[in-house]
Amino acid sequence: MDHQTVGLVCRVAEAAGITTVCVSTGRDLTAQVKPPRSVFVNFPMGNAFGKPFDRKMQLAVLRAALELAVTAKEGGVLVDLPYVWPEPFQFNPGGADT
Amino acid sequence: MSTQADATPAPIAYVDGLAVYYGAMGHPAYQWTVNESAPLQALSKPLNECRVTLLTSGGMSLCSMPPFDPLARNDHRLDVIPSDAAGDDFQIHDAYYDHTDAETDLNCQFPIDRLRELAARQEIGSLAPRFWSGFMGRIYDRSKVLQESAPAFVAELHKDEVDLLIAVPA
Repeated sequence: MDHQTVGLVCRVAEAAGITTVCVSTGRDLTAQVKPPRSVFVNFPMGNAFGKPFDRKMQLAVLRAALELAVTAKEGGVLVDLPYVWPEPFQFNPGGADT
Repeated sequence: MSTQADATPAPIAYVDGLAVYYGAMGHPAYQWTVNESAPLQALSKPLNECRVTLLTSGGMSLCSMPPFDPLARNDHRLDVIPSDAAGDDFQIHDAYYDHTDAETDLNCQFPIDRLRELAARQEIGSLAPRFWSGFMGRIYDRSKVLQESAPAFVAELHKDEVDLLIAVPA
């Protein structure tokens, strides 16, 4: 649900004159709330920038977000980044009392 | 036979998955916010002149601060994270995603070290003095976000003369 909340926050910021980019791991969650600009990374939620100490991937995702801040021409754009997570991963609803 | 399409898994359908998960517990269907358009504020200067900040909603707090409530509902708490905070001085409390890797390296989800590197390389103009952690957990009262907490946050961004916000939901 944070994807919805953060999307709303980005929309408020953008309407108040601040450029925003959302880095999403929940594509459908982001697409429906429609932040002004989003990059989607098809990685597990919690790994938006990749694996621990994978500095190269972390920088690549961050730079892709920065690039979209410059290039986006219309509000609501969502760009699918090409990176592939090396292992299968599953839907995890969370919320368990851990 | 393997094709490129097979090699690239489809994104997880969180909306449908959550509907099934909560439906099985007897909850009524959740009405998500669906927007058809979005505002756009173009950057007024090149990236290497922009002041940039980060927002995480991943339940990350400095070790000197209280933990976030991992099962938070309607918690509008928003922490200031000094943009020179040490990456190993954080705790993560959020039951809604797997933060095992982020506990090992915060930059998996909140890339403060990487953004500092980009500032040092002058790929961005500067870091805002404050990064942010909040809007975590499940926030159902969207009107309060839109009318109170998000505008209050944006006022702080203006105080820091932020040009660009990178927001990372979890």
